[in-house]
Amino acid sequence: MRNPPYAIVLKPYGQALLELARQRPEIVCLGADLTRQTETDIFRDALPERFINAGMAEANMIGIAGGLARAGHVVFVNTFGVFCTRRCYDQVAMSIAYPNLNVKIVGFMPGLSSPGGPSHQAIDDVALMRALPNMTVVEPADAVEVRQAVTAIADRPGLAYMRLKRGETPVIFDDDHRLDLDKAQILTGGERADVCLIAAGMMIPAALAAACVLENNGVSLTVVNVPVIKPLDAATILAAARQTRLVVTAENHTIIGGLGSAVAEALAGASVAAPLRRIGIADVFAESGSREFLFNGYGLSTQNILEVAWRGLGREGPAPVAPVVESTPGAYAPV
Amino acid sequence: MAGQQQALCDLRRLAAQIRLSATRMVAIQGFGYLGQALSSAEIFAVLFGAGFVRPGRDRFVLSPGHYVIGLYAVGAALGLLDAKELESYGKDGALLEAIGSERTPLVDLVCGSLGQGLSGAIGFTLAAHLAGEERDTYAFLSDGEMQEGQIWEAAMFASHNRRRMGRLVAVVDANNSQVDGPVTSVVALEPLAEKWRSFGWRVLEVDGHDVEALSPALATRCADEPLVVIARTEIFGRMRSIPASADGHFIKLDAAVERALIAELEAALA
Repeated sequence: MRNPPYAIVLKPYGQALLELARQRPEIVCLGADLTRQTETDIFRDALPERFINAGMAEANMIGIAGGLARAGHVVFVNTFGVFCTRRCYDQVAMSIAYPNLNVKIVGFMPGLSSPGGPSHQAIDDVALMRALPNMTVVEPADAVEVRQAVTAIADRPGLAYMRLKRGETPVIFDDDHRLDLDKAQILTGGERADVCLIAAGMMIPAALAAACVLENNGVSLTVVNVPVIKPLDAATILAAARQTRLVVTAENHTIIGGLGSAVAEALAGASVAAPLRRIGIADVFAESGSREFLFNGYGLSTQNILEVAWRGLGREGPAPVAPVVESTPGAYAPV
Repeated sequence: MAGQQQALCDLRRLAAQIRLSATRMVAIQGFGYLGQALSSAEIFAVLFGAGFVRPGRDRFVLSPGHYVIGLYAVGAALGLLDAKELESYGKDGALLEAIGSERTPLVDLVCGSLGQGLSGAIGFTLAAHLAGEERDTYAFLSDGEMQEGQIWEAAMFASHNRRRMGRLVAVVDANNSQVDGPVTSVVALEPLAEKWRSFGWRVLEVDGHDVEALSPALATRCADEPLVVIARTEIFGRMRSIPASADGHFIKLDAAVERALIAELEAALA
């Protein structure tokens, strides 16, 4: 793993999709008037026959995706996460999820990564998609995982939802990092730790930063990256949770129905009685603002993770303070 | 000429057979989607009995899934489906469910949630175009479901992509019936033909109970234009045995009406 501030890359998804599509003629790409924003402008320019712009009509787009998939195509559908989940939920359920078609929905701007306010912040997309039978839910943490995830979801027959940060994407993992759709990953820490910190997507940089500070203050951690929220790799999570004093989940999503809920279900279902704290958006709609402003204001910061873990362990005195990592142009730092 | 007259006569008989089979299917439970089969009998007869939908080659999309009773009836009449299956229509565990599903035979796509079929049909048409295949896609729609906005999203998309939509044919059973009553009394769609025309489609409007009008209408496709045939029908298919007060969407078929309807249809087939 690399150290923060992380290097950034642009359009890792768009490039990976185009590379894969050049090899696989069955791949087609659908969009809804957000072509550059979903990194698919390079696909449109290179393979125009296989790029279809549905305009601002997500319900129709999902239906068209279903028809194309039934005819043998692997269909990537691209728009913002709010629009491909909330806006056309019945179409996703009936036109592609129930028949379990080869459609990969890619929803950009997860959680509070968008400055655009509640209309553009997909804070409930994981909950909505996770509830649908046949759906795989993927949330890569960095550009290395994004590239691998494109091939992985294309290779697995059936339906997938992938939530992706828009714009500059950090590079956290080394090139030999491997994303496996069936596996959660132990990123740091041993088998036995005070805290098992389970995170996904944009919360991974903050989780790693928090782990570093806590280790320096005498708290041992196991950090688990969960790039696939459904199906959840319960075996890895339960093994880590059985050997810890406190389980903390961290997600850029409402605490209802997302990663924290999935972990809670796994723990309860296996009668693992570890105390659990869920970090996420506390069942509220947020507001517009910068990533720093929103992640600090809605409890998604490194400091917030530190404090939840500190208090959850019953440590006395104030929690240690997370160092401020300056976010320089061309680099990515956790909030 | 005599051959043509015989063909039309055969299609009319097929429509009567569809109505008779549907009546017997609905009689199993005593209630169900009979009106839909009675209004669309000639449409199904022409689509499948006059060589339009070529099984194994063309694609057939049934957007309003509760019309599937008409598809079962025409499939059985033409030997595409074991007629024995009709006897378990709508029963627990039956192959032939009252609302179409992913298990439904004879169809490439059937939607229970209304307004979604045309989008899927466009997907099929795009796929055939990308593959350079000479497959036609027929989308059966009903008028009531056109209150859903997705139909118009799809209509707009198809005309914008018209050069790839020459093999798409939509057929509308315009029977003016929906759950709460006549479409004109709930949220009116008229002028329907003008709406489709303004959305950039080639539009033909015909008497949907006239097989002689339906066939040529369906044959008027154009290489670079999607076609919609608006088939004007009556919810009970002009059957004299059904009282006007009956529920068009979901009929309760009492024994006396059932007997009278079967007698009326058997007489037509005699």
